[in-house]
Formats: sequence, C-alpha cells, structure tokens
Amino acid sequence: MVTTLAPAGFTRRAVEALSERLADPRWMRDFRLDAFKVYERLAVPTTADEEWRRTDLSGVRWDAFSVDSEPVAGPTERPELPAGVIFTDMRSAVAEHPDLVREHFMRTVVRPDESKFCALHAALWNGGTFLHVPPNAEVTVPLVSEAWIRSDGSALFPHTLIIAEAGSRVTLLDQFGSYAGEWPAFVDGIVEIILRDSAQVRYIAHQDWMAGVTEVGMLRARLARDSSLNSLVVGLGGRVVKSNSESLLEGPGASSEMLGFIFGHNGQHFDLHTLQEHRAPHTFSDLLYKNAVKDHARSVFFGMIRVHQGAQKTNAFQANRNLILSDGAKADSIPNLEIMANDLRCTHGSATSRLNEEHLFYLMSRGLRRLDAVRMVVEGFFAELFDRIPLEDVRARLHGDVDRKMVQ
Amino acid sequence: MATTNPLGINVEKYKYGFFEPEKYVFKARRGLNAAVVNEISHMKSEPDWMRAFRLHAYEHYTQRPMPKWGADLGTIDFDNIFYYIKPTEKRADSWDDLPPEIKRTYDRLGIPEAERKFLAGVGAQYESESVYHNLKDEWEKLGVIFLDTDSALKQHPDIVREYFGTVVPPEDNKLAALNSAVWSGGSFVYIPAGVRVDIPLQAYFRINAQNAGQFERTLIICEPGSYVHYVEGCTAPIYTSDSLHSAVVEIIVKEGARCRYTTIQNWSTNVYNLVTKRAVAYRDATMEWIDGNLGSKLTMKYPSVYMVEPGAKAEILSVAFAGKGQHQDPGGKVIHAAPHTQSVVVSKSISKDGGRAGYRGLVKIYDGAKGSRSAVRCDALILDDRSRSDTYPTMEIDEEDVSITHEATVSKVSDEQLFYLMSRGVKEDEAMNMIVRGFVEPIVKELPLEYAVELNRLIALEMEGSVG
Repeated sequence: MVTTLAPAGFTRRAVEALSERLADPRWMRDFRLDAFKVYERLAVPTTADEEWRRTDLSGVRWDAFSVDSEPVAGPTERPELPAGVIFTDMRSAVAEHPDLVREHFMRTVVRPDESKFCALHAALWNGGTFLHVPPNAEVTVPLVSEAWIRSDGSALFPHTLIIAEAGSRVTLLDQFGSYAGEWPAFVDGIVEIILRDSAQVRYIAHQDWMAGVTEVGMLRARLARDSSLNSLVVGLGGRVVKSNSESLLEGPGASSEMLGFIFGHNGQHFDLHTLQEHRAPHTFSDLLYKNAVKDHARSVFFGMIRVHQGAQKTNAFQANRNLILSDGAKADSIPNLEIMANDLRCTHGSATSRLNEEHLFYLMSRGLRRLDAVRMVVEGFFAELFDRIPLEDVRARLHGDVDRKMVQ
Repeated sequence: MATTNPLGINVEKYKYGFFEPEKYVFKARRGLNAAVVNEISHMKSEPDWMRAFRLHAYEHYTQRPMPKWGADLGTIDFDNIFYYIKPTEKRADSWDDLPPEIKRTYDRLGIPEAERKFLAGVGAQYESESVYHNLKDEWEKLGVIFLDTDSALKQHPDIVREYFGTVVPPEDNKLAALNSAVWSGGSFVYIPAGVRVDIPLQAYFRINAQNAGQFERTLIICEPGSYVHYVEGCTAPIYTSDSLHSAVVEIIVKEGARCRYTTIQNWSTNVYNLVTKRAVAYRDATMEWIDGNLGSKLTMKYPSVYMVEPGAKAEILSVAFAGKGQHQDPGGKVIHAAPHTQSVVVSKSISKDGGRAGYRGLVKIYDGAKGSRSAVRCDALILDDRSRSDTYPTMEIDEEDVSITHEATVSKVSDEQLFYLMSRGVKEDEAMNMIVRGFVEPIVKELPLEYAVELNRLIALEMEGSVG
C-alpha cells in the first residue's frame, strides 16, 4: 500500500535544495530532514482509511508537482502595529525570532508525525505568515496575508502560525489564490493558532484557487482559559479539497465559533472535517457550515463533537445546512457526537434541501427573472452565516463570491 | 431449580440469571468447519440447495475479514461455540407437551399468561429450534403461515427457496455469512395478499446452553395489501463465558403492504448481539422497525429498509439502554432508491454506570429518488459522568429534489425537572425513573400493551439504585 508520493518533486534532494535556498538555520534544516524521514515512512492515505473514505487521491499524479522554492506566502501589507506585535513572513520569523518559532512551529499544535501530509508539509514548507501578539496588546485593524500559486505544476506548503498571548486581541485574514490559469497544482497548508488565557482571535481563511488544484489542509487551534476564537473557512476554488478545522478547548471558559462557507460548482469536490474537542469544563463551541453545490459538485461535511470526561457544563452546537442546486450535485453530511460527560448541552442538526420552488415562485410573481430569484434565495441561504461576520469588507466580498459562483 | 450452576455460580442473584440443567438430544462439537456445516444440514434432512447454500456461505465466512469499525469484536472466540443444539426430539404441539424445565423458564417470562390473555400465536425458540408453536385456526384458513424456519423449509420449500437469502445475501457481511452457514430456527411468516393480521405474532427467543450460539433466521413475506405485526423478545440467563447471538432477519413488503417488526432485546450482559436485519419495501409499502436494546454486552444492529419503488415508507424507532459494562451500538439504515419515498428515524439512548449507548445510521438518497424525504432525530440522556453517548449519523445525498433533516441532542436529567417532581412529594429515585420513562415514552407508546409494560418494568429494574 506504500505507493510513494515521492517522485521527482518530493525528494530528500528537494528538501535540501529548498532549505538552502531559504537559507534555513541548521535547526530548521534538521527539522525538515527529520520530518522527511517520517514522510517516507508513512503511507499515502487511501479510501480504506475512514478519514479519507470520501476523497480518493489515487488519481493524483504526484510526480507532476515540484516545490515552488520562492517564498509563496506572507503578509500582504504591514500596517502600523502596537509595540511588540510581530507580523512577518515565516522565513523572516525563522531568522529574526528563532526562539519563538522553534518553540511552537509544528511542535505544540500540529505535529509532523500526525499524517503523511503533515510530515510533507514540515519537510517542504515554503512560506507563510507569523503573527505574535504580546500580552494585552490589541490590534485594531484586521491583518491580511496571502499565498499564491504562481506557476503550472507547483506545490505549495503555506504555513500560518498565530500566537496570541494572554489578553491580546487580533484579526487575521488569510487569502489563498492562483495568479492565473487553471494549472494543476498541489497545496498542503497548515494553520496553527495558539490562544493563551483570555486571548481573542478572529481568523478567516479565504480559499479561491483556480480549477485544477488539489488541496489538503489543516487548521487547528488550542484554546486556553477564557480565550475565544472566531474562525471562518471559505472554500470556493480547487478541484479536490480535503481540509480539517479543529478547535481544542483546553481551558475552562474557552469558546470557539467555527463557521464554514462552501460553494462548489462543476466537478469540484470538498471534503470538510471538523472537530470540536472539549477537554475542560465550562467550554463552549458553536459550529455552522453552510454548503451549496451545483452542477456535478460534491460536498462532504464530517463533523465531530467530542466531550471528554470531566468537561462538565459544556455547551456544544453543530449545524450543517446543505443546498443542492442542480440535479447531479451531491452533499454528504456526517455530524458525529462522542460524549463522555453528562452535565452538558450538546446538539447537532443537519438539513439538506434544494431550492424552494414556492419561494422562487413568490419572487418571480413580483417580476424578478428566475435567475435573479434563484440568486436571491441562495443569498438568503447564506445570510444567516454572513450576518455573523462583523467585518463589512469581508461580508461584501462573500456576497460577491456568491454572485460569481452562481454564474460560473 | 438449582441455585448454583455447574460452575458454582449462584445464578439466583442475577436478575434474569435463572437457568435449567442442560438436557439435549444432540450437541454438535465446539467450533466450526465444513464438516460441522454438513452435519447440521444432514441432521435437519435439508434439501441439497440449502446444504449448498450453507457451504457456500461458510466458504465466504472463512475469507471475509472481521469488520474493523464500531466496537472491538476481537474478543469473541468463534472456536469455542456450539453451532447447533437440538433441544428436544419432537416439537410440542401444545403447552402441556413441553418438558417441565422449559415450561418453568417460560413461566418466569410470563408467556402462558400472555397467551391466556389474547395472544394469537406463540412461537418460542428455546435454544436453537422452536419448540412450541400455536396459531389461531382462522388465520390458517386465510393462508397465513407462521412456523419456525426449519419446518417451513420442509412444508413450504418453494416459498422459502424463492425468498431465502435474497434480502441479506451471505456475502453481505461476515456475520451474515456465518448465520447463513449455521442458521437454525427463527420464524417464517407468510401473509397472503390482502390479509390483515390484527393481533401481533409473537416469538420468544432464548439462549440457555453455555456458549450456545443462536443463529436464528427469520423470513417474513407480506404479499400485496397485507398487514402484520411481528414481535420478537429476548431474555437470556447469565453464564460465565461469552455467548454470541447472530441472527439474520429478511423481510419482503410488497405493494401496499405494511409490516411492523418489534424487538425487545434483553440478553444477559455477556452476550454479543450482532444482528443483520433488513427489509425491502415495494410500491407504497410501509416497513416499521421498533427496536429496544436493554441487554447484551455488545449490540451492533442496524435495521435497514431499502425503499425500491415509489411511495415506499420506512420508520425506525430505536431505544437503547446501556448500564455497567454494556455497549449499545444500535441504529438504522434507510435507503431511498425510488422517487417519493419517505423515512423517519427516532432514536433514544440512555447510558449510566459507565455504559456506552448511541446511534449509528445511514440515510442514502440515490440519484433519481426525487421528492424523497427523510427525518432523523436522536436524543441521548447521560445519567452520570462516567457514561458515554455516541452519535454517528451518515447522510449521503445524490439527488437535488429532496428534504433531509437530522437533529440530535445530548443532555442530562435536568435539576429543575427533578426538583419539580420532588417538590410534589415524589422521592428522588422515583422522580428519576419517571423522567427516564418520559424520555422513552414516544417509543414505548408504539409497543403492544404487554411489551410496553415489560419495557417500563425493565427500565425500572435498570434504574434501581441509580440515585445514591
């Protein structure tokens, strides 16, 4: 079963070359090479693995990709920031803040040995964003960073690391896109968020690759006492996307809002796994994923709420709503619960439906064209989600995304 | 009746731990191979096609890997099981002909009373074969057949051959293959077109010999426009080593017919209960599964309905209660393979004293099943902080014109409810009991009266001592 994912592109030689090109310090070079050993040891997941049951990578031609050795991701702009806030690209962070990076980079949140793709990412990460907010610092402007696919057949390993110290507040918008062309490309991205006591972080990942992209991704946050995270995952582009979004609520009073906005068209495939892991009492999580699919697109929502023994007074909510816009589109929903505490409130709900003809009829009887009526109903479907994003620019952009996807 | 069993265990102290000294006509060897399968078929003087069916199934069983998902099945020792035991040489035709020790066991389950009341037919499975069958004369005149499956194979070979293994083929899963190889007993029900059987058909199933595998095979055929309610209940005595219960139930519900299948499962807590239950519903047919799981060490049971023609309906009501050392993993599957099909699934699970209960299910809507609707509701009650509840629903929707909903909640018994009842003078344990009864009420009210009473009594027994 060990079909290697290690042809021309993903080799030890490539790791060494990349490390040299990015002028890694010795510890980072060793870190990469160790991770590469793990990568070589692990098998490519197949549909026999429960986690990968609905996403088949067996058709992916791994030898078609090569690592983009220019830094591929980082802050878009650098606004004036409160004293002590570090907002820089990952490569500079390795050079300028080695202690912070070394302590946290793929050590405490996501580890290289978790999966073949985590190991590959650790070995070949080639850009990203580093954000460190010191205690009680408040960043009032939303920060923006980005990652781009710039050429045909490139492999991208963007890494975002956010460390929000006690009592700090920050918002980061991460944008992912292609320069031009429907190139085949491979993306293996990781986002790590560390929230110390009472920290507040809002994180938005806006993914809008061109067609032809295969993506595996992981977003994981660890939440300490009384911290709160508001995350939004936007999935619009790519051909095959399998991503995980996980919140580990480790301190009493921690709270995580997890939102998802997915819109698939043509033959797009989105496989989204979420985890709300309650490890401490008095924790709160609220998840809402809204997925729309048209043409022959397919979406999978696989959610898990896990409440550990002793995590009493937990409130955990999970909702998945799917809208199927065309005959031929598919939506799977698998909302799971594993509850090992008794004094809690935990609910999940899932609903899948198509456009309501009565709603359309009503709008059309008021003189709207069918196309506009459909657009309005779809906007209405997503409104519940968009209303929960307090950033006006982001909301406007998401509305634009819906309009564009409707006609694509 | 002896108060200790041959292993020196005081069985009186166990709730359903009464047992009878073993006195059997024939006992196959422990363990399984092709020769044992042959021997079973030979002992039953079966036709060649059934022998071939068994051997084919055994072949498949040996090759099929054990399922890896769900609970750990690695602890079952398949070589340490008797695959066939024949309890008495002849089947009894009336209650008086039954051997006294078997009668005593049934007395404790209240069967004669039940019959005395108004029950139509009692088909009781003691060990691996039915020993007692009684069916009202007027139904026989209507053409209703209610037999144990072995007798049906002899008396109605054509009907059995036409339907046997068509709903659950031996290749379906490893345990269905095992059952197909060594099946024994079970009920055969045939309802002719347009016949409505108003009073439920009932069969009790029992396991009594140590390491007795119980591999019953039930086949129900509802011809167009007919109706039947089949009730199956189980209580088993407690023994020291693990027992396996692996049944296969096949149901065919033809055009416009309705079938309701009710199970109250209360195997002793060392039984592995791994059952394949499946129904096929044709045009405008209705299939209802009512599934109560209170006993057993581990239950993995997912009653399914394949809706293959327009207008078919499915309803699954599931109650699970897991106490100390128990893992209840029940659920249901509804497969919408035709337009305008409807399904409703309601699951209620309760876990206490470190037990683990839950729901595992599948809603599958095939492309083209336009206008299909499915609603799934799962509620779980966790009574203490050592217990666990799992919900694993899967919805696969390949059609646009559908409406699918799933909801689940997990909660504890609310302090306000308890306080309210106690302020009215109800003692805490009784208040707790009332709340739990209220929680399962939507399902209990679907049961025939005496089963509703029995379920409530069993829950009350399980709840004893739950408030310290």
